[in-house]
Amino acid sequence: MLIAKSISHNYGEDMALKDINLDIKKGEFIAIVGESGSGKSTLLSILSTLLTPSSGEILFDGMSYKEIKNIDKFRKKNIGFIFQFHYLIEYLNVYDNLKIANEESSESEILSLLKIFDIAKLIKKLPNEISGGQRQRVAIARALMNRPSIVFADEPTGNLDSKNAVLVFDRFREMAKKGTTIIVTTHNRELSELADRIIEVKDGQLQ
Amino acid sequence: MYSSMLKTDGDIIITQAKISDTFFSNVDINLIKKIKRIDGVNDSSAFVIGASPVESLPIVAIYGVTKNRFKNYELVDGIYPSQNEALIGESIYASLSDKKSITIANEEFKISGVFKSEIGFENGGVVLNVNEAGAIFNKSASIIMVNSDIYKNINAIIKEIKNLDSNIDVKSTDNFVTNYNQFKIIKTSSTVISFIAFIMGLIGIVSIMSITINQRKSEFGIKRAIGISMRNIIGAIVSEALILGVVSFVSAFSISTLVLYIIKNSAHLQGYVNGEISLSLAFGIFVTSMIMVIVGSILPAINAAKTDPIMLIQGNR
Repeated sequence: MLIAKSISHNYGEDMALKDINLDIKKGEFIAIVGESGSGKSTLLSILSTLLTPSSGEILFDGMSYKEIKNIDKFRKKNIGFIFQFHYLIEYLNVYDNLKIANEESSESEILSLLKIFDIAKLIKKLPNEISGGQRQRVAIARALMNRPSIVFADEPTGNLDSKNAVLVFDRFREMAKKGTTIIVTTHNRELSELADRIIEVKDGQLQ
Repeated sequence: MYSSMLKTDGDIIITQAKISDTFFSNVDINLIKKIKRIDGVNDSSAFVIGASPVESLPIVAIYGVTKNRFKNYELVDGIYPSQNEALIGESIYASLSDKKSITIANEEFKISGVFKSEIGFENGGVVLNVNEAGAIFNKSASIIMVNSDIYKNINAIIKEIKNLDSNIDVKSTDNFVTNYNQFKIIKTSSTVISFIAFIMGLIGIVSIMSITINQRKSEFGIKRAIGISMRNIIGAIVSEALILGVVSFVSAFSISTLVLYIIKNSAHLQGYVNGEISLSLAFGIFVTSMIMVIVGSILPAINAAKTDPIMLIQGNR
């Protein structure tokens, strides 16, 4: 489904990734692990179209990202991204933060998604009126609004307690079983064991 | 102001030749009789312009006018003045302690009435009969105004009036107002000052819009990351900026109009300071401001559109 060919990326003179090659199948649940600064978040950003690599190519169902004419539309249709920091829009309430990701969704659809993450009662709250863990769960729900075929999550459980972290990973497993590809970065070795495959990044290279 | 006052009086203006200011002009009032005989002239009036201290006010404009010009003054109280009487502008009347008489150059005049004028310059002045003002300021008339038939060639009338006296200068009122040095100085100064203020305002608009958009780059990055197109984001930015621009313009225009109204009607200023915002000027300012609002918001937005979403997000982290 997703093939990375010789991906390298530099931030100025600093090499963040070097010659990464990956082949990810549809419905796979992959955990990318590595220390801080190893390049795992950069790799995730590149795989998810949020960052253009310095060199190399990524193919999505055989089509190169470079050939996609409307990358925003492609992203909306195929990709869900969960950030390490929740990155909700501060002036929109929980409902609108989800609605903005998919204007065509109904209130009942949004509500049922919020119920899965046990945050339905927060629907009218602003991000600054809820806890860090609740914000992160809203951000996860937002990433799933468009029923993406592939979900990228950068340390999605960093702000969650262990109970909610397991809840999120269980949810990812269920989604993967239904055919959604899940790619997650994490520090948590225990959680990474729940994935189908673990990819380790060290000094910008796959181990 | 003075130019507005002159424009209400007629379309030809006669002053003494080779003088630097109408204040020093002295023309023979008897010319009126000859001017009225010229084909195409409907009416002619004369007035004396002077200035004198009145009560506690250090300087007040004094107008001596022929009787046929009294109709220009809209009475709010009393009647037009006869000999030894004065008609008082509304704004100066409010500042007088004695409301019955007024002393000008040691001559006492009974107040016959009070008038109001849209021209602040007049509203703060005193109107006397032309002969009495002429006696005070030792002249026959400062200016003679002529109303002509609109179907007649004004240049031909001007030429004919010039032939009556070699010691006079005759111009159309529009030409006079355009070339009168004091008006030129005031207009040029106010235009330059306004232009500088306007340019500074425009730079301010562009800067504020750019800063605002740059501060929101993280938000744009998040929106792009969840699939909202840059076209929609730019559209929303421009819409917000235009709403902000319109609200700002309406506020600024309202405040300016209010300030000008207060200045115009201030008894303290006696109507000497006056200003106006024409519709064409307001429209020009509005259009230019809106263009700058769009430029100030769209340039950083387009720049944001070319940047990877993750760089936008991390840029403000």
